[in-house]
Amino acid sequence: MRGGCTERQHDHREDSMRVAVAEDGALFREGLVMLLRAAGQEVIGWAADGDRLVALLSSQPADVAIVDIRMPPEPDGGLITAQRLRAAHPDLGLLFLSHYAESHYLMRILQIGTERIGYRLKEKVGSVEVLTDTLTRIHNGEIVIEPVLAKRLVDRPRGDKKDSLAALSDRELDVLRLMAEGRSNTGIAGQLYVTPKAVEKHIANIFAKLGLPPDTTTHHRRVLAVLTYLRSQRTQS
Amino acid sequence: MAVIGELLNPLRYVRQLLATNEVMRWGYPHCNGGEHPFAFSLISIEDANMVSGPDHRVGDRSYELPVEAGRRQEKDQWVCRRLLERQLHDGAALRISALTLRLGLFRHTGPPETAALQAWLGKLQDELHAVLEELRDVAGKLYPPLLDEAGLGPALREVADRMGRPVSIVESGERFGVAAEGAAYFAVAECLASLPADAPPVEVILRRERDELLLSVVGVDGRHGHLVAERARPLGGTVKVCEGDAPNASTITARIPCE
Repeated sequence: MRGGCTERQHDHREDSMRVAVAEDGALFREGLVMLLRAAGQEVIGWAADGDRLVALLSSQPADVAIVDIRMPPEPDGGLITAQRLRAAHPDLGLLFLSHYAESHYLMRILQIGTERIGYRLKEKVGSVEVLTDTLTRIHNGEIVIEPVLAKRLVDRPRGDKKDSLAALSDRELDVLRLMAEGRSNTGIAGQLYVTPKAVEKHIANIFAKLGLPPDTTTHHRRVLAVLTYLRSQRTQS
Repeated sequence: MAVIGELLNPLRYVRQLLATNEVMRWGYPHCNGGEHPFAFSLISIEDANMVSGPDHRVGDRSYELPVEAGRRQEKDQWVCRRLLERQLHDGAALRISALTLRLGLFRHTGPPETAALQAWLGKLQDELHAVLEELRDVAGKLYPPLLDEAGLGPALREVADRMGRPVSIVESGERFGVAAEGAAYFAVAECLASLPADAPPVEVILRRERDELLLSVVGVDGRHGHLVAERARPLGGTVKVCEGDAPNASTITARIPCE
């Protein structure tokens, strides 16, 4: 089905999100729409390319837009489309789906935004639970990063920030890895079986050891910590 | 030209390509049109040498191939590699990804749940993820998608990242065309892979000089110059090695005709 099809579900549930989908592969797009509905989400429409998604969302409000990175307009229409959507609808959550989990795209995605944004592998959102968790976290303002990618970036720290990362304790590195996955303090506490207060303390230590400026907001510093961490994996020219 | 086989099925072809360590040059009778866009003729390594060395002779027969035709064939090779990668992405990979969604739907709405069935379906989804990982690996060996989409700088950073090897890349983000970028990418990746784990960081410099891509790889083993030459010369490129005074302190410089 190509382009801009819209529909309304009448059994709109209180906790469901309004979701729009742009993906040029019909088979995957249809599967995703079915799974979203099974998960109780309201699919407000779908499109086979970015331009049609932008047109669709100009007349229909949504909570989260799911975009394929590699779709028309070529070569990486999902990123261009997301940029336009973020400018037009700052509160709209963005979930990027791709066949590849690459740090290059993660950097470009983080340039588009560091809130209400996610990047996951296509085959990894194939369950109602994972899809719902991913969308909910994005809708709540978090960054969601494919765990395989976050792990790959964390497991091989090196580059110009190698020394500052080397100063982190194992526990602080665990916390930073979970931050890079976009988890909240409570989420990190739950994963590591410690109190949120302990997580806060670890994060304060991470900020200090990475030399992040104290004159910015906690959220901003959090993003900087994640970016420092991610950038440290790549020796830039 | 001794035709070993003509394969209409690209996946069969890919398997065969990966199963062999021989250097192959591909002929493309139907590559850019005709009924079978993915039909290849494979020529043997001897013939491949003849393509790159016009003076090569066997017995009384001359296998001279005009230099221009050889280069054109080499360029076609890179175009076809990229086409195969796209076919994997748009075909098999997309179908398998869609299948994981269907399985997810089945887990949710299928027959009455039993723990065993759930576990089995979960394993099946994990297995499909593993298949996709293998397809990604194959695609990366054909023509890295990031190279196609974002160019040499991002693609080389990514591959160095995955090897866990510190690399500094000096470039302006300029593009050089499918063939020159493919040749330079694999040349650098092979040099990086050949370095010992404790080698100091390598610097890669990429720039254009008229219609040539000028590639310098600084801080590598000079004996690896042949890795760069094997990729650059079939496209009409030239390679120079400047030996350093310590192990892995040499500079390999290549000039590769580009778009």
